[in-house]
Amino acid sequence: MKTRLPDHGPLETPKFWRTLEERVETLDAQEAAHHEFLPSAGPGAFDDVHGLPVQDGFSRRDFFGLVGAAAAVAATVACDRKGQGTVVPYTKRPVEVTPGVANYYASATNEGRRVYPVLVKTREGRPIHITGNDEHPGVKGKTSPRTLADVLRLYDPDRLRAPKANGRTLGWTEAEGQLQAALKSAKASGKAVLLVSGAVVSPSRKALLADLKAALPTLEHLAYEPVAGDGAEEAAKASFGQSVDVQPRLDKAKVILSLGADFLSGEDPESLGAWGAQRRLKSAKDNINRLWVLEGPLTLTGTNADQRVPVVPSRLAAVAFALAKELAAKGVSLPAGTDLSAIPAQSEVPAKAWSNLVKDLQHAGRNAVVLCGAQMPAEAHQAAHLLNAMLGSEAVSVRAAEPLATVKDLETATKGMGEGRYAAAIFWDVNPAYTFPKASAWKEALAKVPFRAWIGQVEDETAAQCQLLLPENHWLESWGDFSTASAAVLQQPTIGTLYDTKQGEDVLLDAAKALGAATADNYHAYLQARWQKSLPLGTSFAQALHDGLVKGEDKAASPAFKGASVAAAAKKAADSKPQGLELVLFPGFATHDGRHANNSWLQETPDPISKMTWDNPVAVSVQDAQAMGIQEGDYVSLSLDGTTLRLPAILQPGQAKGVIALALGYGRTTGGVAKGVGVDAFPLLGLDPASAHVRKGAKLAKAGGKKELSRTQSHHRMEGRDIVRSLTMDEFEHHPQGHHHAPEIVSLYEDQKFPDHKWGMVIDLAACTGCSACVVACQSENNVPVVGPEQVARGREMHWIRIDRYYEGELENPKVVHQPMLCQHCDNAPCENVCPVNATNHSPEGLNQMAYNRCVGTRYCGNNCPYKVRRFNFLEYTAYKTEPETLANNPEVTVRPRGVMEKCSFCVQRINDVKIRAKGDGRAILDGEITTACMAGCPSDAIVFGDLKDPKSKVSQLVTASRAYRVLEELGAKPAITYLADLKNPAAGE
Amino acid sequence: MKLDAATSAGDIPEGLLEPALTVGRVTPGSLDDQVLAFPETKPPKQWYFALAITLTAALIGVISIGYTFITGIGAWGNSSPVFWAFDIINFVFWVGIGHAGTLISAILFLFRKRWRNAIARFAEAMTIFAVICAVIFPLIHVGRPWLAYWLFPYPNQRALWTNFRSPLLWDVFAVNTYFSVSLMFWYLGLIPDIASMRDRTTSKLRKVIYTILAVGWRGAATHWQHYEKAYLLLAGLATGLVLSVHSVVSFDFATSVVPGWHMTIFPPYFVAGAIFAGFAMVVMVLVVVRETMELKNLITMRHLDVMNKVILSMSCIMGYSYMMEGFTAWYSMNEFLHHGFMNIVTGTYGWAGWVTISCNILIPQILWFKKARASYFWMILVAVGVTIGMWFERFVIIVISLHQDFLPSAWRIYKPTMVDFGVLLGTFGIFFTLVLLFARVLPVIATTEVKAILPDAQPSHHGDEHHA
Amino acid sequence: MADVTRKPIRQPIVDRATALLAGPFLLGQRALGLVFQPDKSPGDPPPEPAALRISIKPPEHAIKRRG
Repeated sequence: MKTRLPDHGPLETPKFWRTLEERVETLDAQEAAHHEFLPSAGPGAFDDVHGLPVQDGFSRRDFFGLVGAAAAVAATVACDRKGQGTVVPYTKRPVEVTPGVANYYASATNEGRRVYPVLVKTREGRPIHITGNDEHPGVKGKTSPRTLADVLRLYDPDRLRAPKANGRTLGWTEAEGQLQAALKSAKASGKAVLLVSGAVVSPSRKALLADLKAALPTLEHLAYEPVAGDGAEEAAKASFGQSVDVQPRLDKAKVILSLGADFLSGEDPESLGAWGAQRRLKSAKDNINRLWVLEGPLTLTGTNADQRVPVVPSRLAAVAFALAKELAAKGVSLPAGTDLSAIPAQSEVPAKAWSNLVKDLQHAGRNAVVLCGAQMPAEAHQAAHLLNAMLGSEAVSVRAAEPLATVKDLETATKGMGEGRYAAAIFWDVNPAYTFPKASAWKEALAKVPFRAWIGQVEDETAAQCQLLLPENHWLESWGDFSTASAAVLQQPTIGTLYDTKQGEDVLLDAAKALGAATADNYHAYLQARWQKSLPLGTSFAQALHDGLVKGEDKAASPAFKGASVAAAAKKAADSKPQGLELVLFPGFATHDGRHANNSWLQETPDPISKMTWDNPVAVSVQDAQAMGIQEGDYVSLSLDGTTLRLPAILQPGQAKGVIALALGYGRTTGGVAKGVGVDAFPLLGLDPASAHVRKGAKLAKAGGKKELSRTQSHHRMEGRDIVRSLTMDEFEHHPQGHHHAPEIVSLYEDQKFPDHKWGMVIDLAACTGCSACVVACQSENNVPVVGPEQVARGREMHWIRIDRYYEGELENPKVVHQPMLCQHCDNAPCENVCPVNATNHSPEGLNQMAYNRCVGTRYCGNNCPYKVRRFNFLEYTAYKTEPETLANNPEVTVRPRGVMEKCSFCVQRINDVKIRAKGDGRAILDGEITTACMAGCPSDAIVFGDLKDPKSKVSQLVTASRAYRVLEELGAKPAITYLADLKNPAAGE
Repeated sequence: MKLDAATSAGDIPEGLLEPALTVGRVTPGSLDDQVLAFPETKPPKQWYFALAITLTAALIGVISIGYTFITGIGAWGNSSPVFWAFDIINFVFWVGIGHAGTLISAILFLFRKRWRNAIARFAEAMTIFAVICAVIFPLIHVGRPWLAYWLFPYPNQRALWTNFRSPLLWDVFAVNTYFSVSLMFWYLGLIPDIASMRDRTTSKLRKVIYTILAVGWRGAATHWQHYEKAYLLLAGLATGLVLSVHSVVSFDFATSVVPGWHMTIFPPYFVAGAIFAGFAMVVMVLVVVRETMELKNLITMRHLDVMNKVILSMSCIMGYSYMMEGFTAWYSMNEFLHHGFMNIVTGTYGWAGWVTISCNILIPQILWFKKARASYFWMILVAVGVTIGMWFERFVIIVISLHQDFLPSAWRIYKPTMVDFGVLLGTFGIFFTLVLLFARVLPVIATTEVKAILPDAQPSHHGDEHHA
Repeated sequence: MADVTRKPIRQPIVDRATALLAGPFLLGQRALGLVFQPDKSPGDPPPEPAALRISIKPPEHAIKRRG
C-alpha cells in the first residue's frame, strides 16, 4: 500500500471539516491537518516495500526487524538437531531409482535348511523392509522375525569392509591369490583341505562345491548347523538311512502331536499360515485342528496347545514309543520289522489324556502328524518317524536332504587338525570357534592348520583364529538359489555391494578356476547358465528373477521308514531315566545360533515366552525354583561336566519339573552389539550327537546376587480381568460372549463423524501364536529405536506393538494366552483430550494421530492411556544408531527426537500411499489393499486392517463376529481395534 | 443463661475471654523498633550458616535440573507406565505448601480472625516461595522444556492453539493466577511497612529502594481508605483462588481415567490436604522464627495453639478422605479401583501408603492434647511428619496408581534416581533460601496490622482491666 | 552387559550450549554489521556438502518386481 498525502490546497475554504477546531480555523488546527502525516513526507520519500516513510539511519522498525530475525535465527540454530546432513540430489540418477518411489525385488535367504522367499522394499537404492514373497505358494507373503530383521544386518557397522590378512587390509586380487596359492600347494602335496559352511540348500551352491571338489579332490566339506539338531540328523540316518528334511504340512493336519517341536515359533511361516487358516473360525461348526503338546520347557507351540502335558525330554521317546505300542495294540499296523517289546507302559501322561490322545491319533489317521523338536534326543525323532509311518501321515513331508555335520564330525575334524591332516581350512559363514562345545580344544587344533581362511560378514570368534579374512556380501547383495518343496527360489541382489566385499560362492568359484576347473566368470553367470538350462519352456531368467521363484514341486525323494531301526532306539528310550536336572539347550529366539546376536532389533524383541530382552537367563521350573529357593533374577551357578556358568535365573511356569532350559547364541565375545550380552551356553552342548542339546545331570545352585532383568513384562497374570478372552469350542458354540455383555456407553458429546473412511483393525487371538513377527515388522517399518538393556529394565522400550502374554491357572501347567497390544485408536481417546497442546488428536478417518513437532512431552497422554501403548523418548534414542544403520530407516516415517511421545500410527504412511495411488488411478481403495506392517508381517494372518465404513470389508464383517470384543470397552474409549476371542480345542471332557 | 448474666454483669469467666494477641507491653513504637529493625541489623553468624546450607541444596537442585535438560527426562526414574513421578509429586506438594499463606491472609481476614495478623505476612511469603518452587516443575518436567511456552495460548503465525479440554492447561492458568494474585496481595500488605522502613532507614541505598517499593505511601487517610478497600477486594479474590487452585490441580488426576485418580472426592480432598501441609510448614518455620528472631511476644503460643488446631482438624478431614477412598473402592465394585486401593495398603509400595496414613492421620492425633499443642517437641514432630506424609500422599496417588493400572502386562515398578532426589532437595534449598532472605530484608510481621490489634488500639471496655 | 551403543551416546550439550550462546552473539554481530557497515561484502559461500561415506549403487542385473 502506498500512502500519498492528498494535496489539500489552501485551507481557507474547507468543504468538510474533521474537527471542531478545524471548523473554526485555528492556526493550530491548520498546522495539524497539514501535518497529519509525517512532516518531511513528500513524493518518493516512501519505502517501496512497506509504504512507510523512509527514515535516516537505523529506524526503530528496522531494529525490531533485526532483533526479531536474529532471535528467530538464533532459536533455529539453537534447536539444531545433530546429525543433520546435507541433502544432495543425484547428479546422475540410476535408471532403476526414482526418488520417492519404492522398488521391490524378489529375493530369498535361508537359515539352516529353512528357506525364506522374500520381497525386499528399497528406497533410493537402500533395502529398508522385508516381507515374504507373496508369489510363493508355501509362505504366501510371510517370513520369520529374524528374516525381517536381517535388513539391519546389511547395515551392521561392524561388517568387515575389505579383505584382511594378518591384520593388514589388502585388495581382492592379493587376498584371493593367497587363498588360491594355499589351495594349489595343498593340491600338489595331496593334503586335505577342510571347508566348513552352513547347510547346503542351494542347488547351484551344491554344484559349485562339486566343481570345487573335482578340481581339488582332497577337499573335505562339512555343512555345519550348530542348532539344527544333531539328534534329528542321527535319527534320520537310523530311520531312513539318509539325511532328511522334515516339514510339517499343517494344512492337512487334523490332529498334531508335538514332542517338544516348536513349529509355531515364527521361524516357520508355512506352518503358521496353515495354523492360522485352521484357527480363524467363523462359527463353531468350522473345522478346527487339535494340538497336543508333550514337552519339557514351555515353547511357543506349547503355549498354543489345546492340551499340553509337561514331560521331561529324556522320557519323550519312551512315551512316544508307548503311544506306538498302544496304537499297534488298537489295530494300527506297524511297519515291517518293528520291535517295541522293550517299551513298558508309560506313566508320564495322565490316563484320561492318554486315552484321548490315542483315540485322536487313531481317529485322524492320515490327518494326524507327530512332530519332534529339533533339539530332542534322536530316539524321540525315531519314535516320531515311526508314528508318522504307522499313521501314514500326509501332514508331513519327509524329503531327502544334504547331510549336516554333527558335533561328532566336528570332533573328528578337530582331531584331524590336531594331527596336521589339513593343509588349509576355510570357514564360510560358520563360527565353530564359538559354537563348538570344546572351543579351546578347537582353537588349539586349528592353530596347527598352516593356512586358515575365513569368509564372513562380521569378524567373529573364528575370524580371530584365521589369517586371511574375506569379507562376504550380505544376502541382500548376493546371488543364489534354493529349492523348496513347492517352488525353486531365486536370490538376487537388491543393492550393489556397500563395501569391497564378495559373495562366498564367487571366492570358491575363483578358487576352482585357479585350480583348473572350467567354469563361469562369476557366480551370477554360473547361476544364470545353470538356470537357463533348467527353466521351464516360456519362462525367462528375467521373469524368474522378477517373480523370485519358479513354481513346481521339488522332486526330492521321500525315503521309506526302516522298521528295523526301532528296536535299538526303543531299548535306549526305555532305559533313559532322568538323572539330576535335565538341561535343554535351544536356539535363542533373537540370536538363533549366535549369528543374529549383533542385530539390536532382535536383541530387543522380547522373547515370546519369557519376555526377556538382551539376555538368556536359565529358565527353571516353578517347582524346582521353590525347592531351591530361587527367585526371579537370582544369580545361579549352572554346572555340567566340569563347566560352570554364572547366570541369572527366571521362573518358567509350565516347564516340566526337573528341567532347566537355556538359550544358545548369547555371550559372544565379538560384535559391537553382541559382545557380552548374556552367557555362552555352547560349552554345555553334549558331544553325543544323539542327545547334544538335552543334557542330563546338570546342577544348579544359588550363586548370590540378583540381576535386574531387562524384561518387558513383569506381571504375568490377568488378575481376573476381562482382557484376553479364551473360549473352548463348546463355549464358542453356546456362549461366545460368556457372561460379558457389551457395556452401555453414554456420552454427553456427539460422536465424531467419519465422512470417508474409518480405519479399524481386527486381531484374531485364536490365530495369533505370539511369534512376534509383527513386532519386528513394525520396528523396521516405523523406525522404532532400540534403547538397550538398561533402558528396557527401566520400562522404556519403544515398540509400538507388543505381545502381552498371560498365564492362567496352576503354575505347573498354565493356560497361556497371547495378545498383540498396540494403539487402539480410540474414537473417544483418553489421551487426546488431556494433551495441553493438541499434539495428539483424531483424524477424520478415525486415526489417533501424533504431531511429533507439536509434542512438548508432558507425558499426560501416556498416563491416561488405559492400554499403555504410548512410548516416550526419555533420551535421544535415535542417536543410539551408528552409521550406517540409519540407512535402514524408512524415509516415510519421521525419526522422533528426545522428549517426544510416539505410538502406533496404523502405518499412516501406507494408508496415504494407497490413497494417493487410488486417487491417481481414479478409483476407490480396495479392501485389503492397505496393509499395516504388523498385518503384512503376521504369518498366521491374525491381523486384519481395513475400512469400517465399507460394510463389505473384511474388518466390518469381523467386528460383528460372535467372538468379537474390545478390550476395556467399559471405559468408553471406543477402541478401533476389535479382538476375536482365543479358541482352545481340548479333547472332550478335559 | 448464666452466660447472659455474666455478660451483662461485664464479668466473663476467664476461660471464655479472648486472650490478648500479644504478650507483655507492646506499643506501636516498640513494635516498629522490634520488627522493622531486622533489615537494618547485621545478620548473625547462624543466618549465614543456614544460608550456606540452603544455597548448597539449591545449587544441587540447579545442577540436577541442568543435567536433566542435557540428557532428557530419562535422567529421572520415570518410565512407562509411571510417566509422572517426582516431577508432579513435587509440583503438587509445593502448590499444597503454598496454600496456608493465602488461607491465613485472605480467608481468615474475611472471617475477622484477628490472630492471623501477626503471622499472615510470613505465611504469605511462604506461599509465594512455595509457588515459585512449584512452577519450576511444569517447566522442567516436559520432554522438550524449550517449547514449554507452547502451553500458553498465544497468537502465532502457525495458528496453533492450545487444547482447553486438557486439565494441564487449566493448571497453567490456575497456578499463574494464584501466583500473581498472591504476589499482589502480599505486596499490597507490604506497602505501609515498607513506607515505615523508608522513613526509618539511614542508609541511602535502602532509602532509594524502599522509596520505590513504597510507591509514594504517605499514610494519608485516603491512602488507608484505598488500601483497606484493595486489601478487602484482593482478599475476596484470593479466597476463591485458595479453593480453586488445588481443585484445578486435582483435576489433573480426577478427570483422567486412571484408577485411583478418577474420583469426585479429589478437589475438596486436595484443598484440605494442601491447607494441612501448608499449616504444618508454617508451624515449622514460625517456631524457628519465633525463637531465633525473638518475636515471642508477637507470635505467641496461642498462635501456635490455633495453628495446631487447624492441623488437627485437617488431619481428621484427611482421615475421612482416605476412608472414603477405601469405601469407594469397595462400594463401587470396580476391580481396578479395588486393586488400586489394595495396592496402597498391601502392594509393593504399601510402605508408602502406611507412611502417609501414619504421618497424616495417626501422629497428628496427639494434638488433641492441649499439652502437645503447647509443646515444641510435639508440634515440630507433627509438622515434620505431616510434611513427609503429604509428600508421600502424592507419591501414593501418583506412583501407586500409575504403576499398576488396567493391563497387568504393562505393570512396572518405579525407582527414582539420584537426579530425582537432587531436584527435590534443590526445591527445598530454593524455598528456604528465599525464606532466609525474606527474613532479613523485609518486615516479617505486618506491623500495621499488628498495631490494629494491640490492646491499646482496641476501644474496649475491658481494656482497663487488663492493664490494671 | 554390553551397551547397544557402539560409541558412547553423543551428548548434544556442547552443540546446544555453543549454539545458544554463540548464535545470538554472532547473529547480533552480523545484524549490527549490516546496519552500520553497509559496504561490507555478503557472507561466505555455503560450505561444500560433506562426502557420503558410503555410496549406494543399485544392484547389477537384478530385476525389480515393481516400483
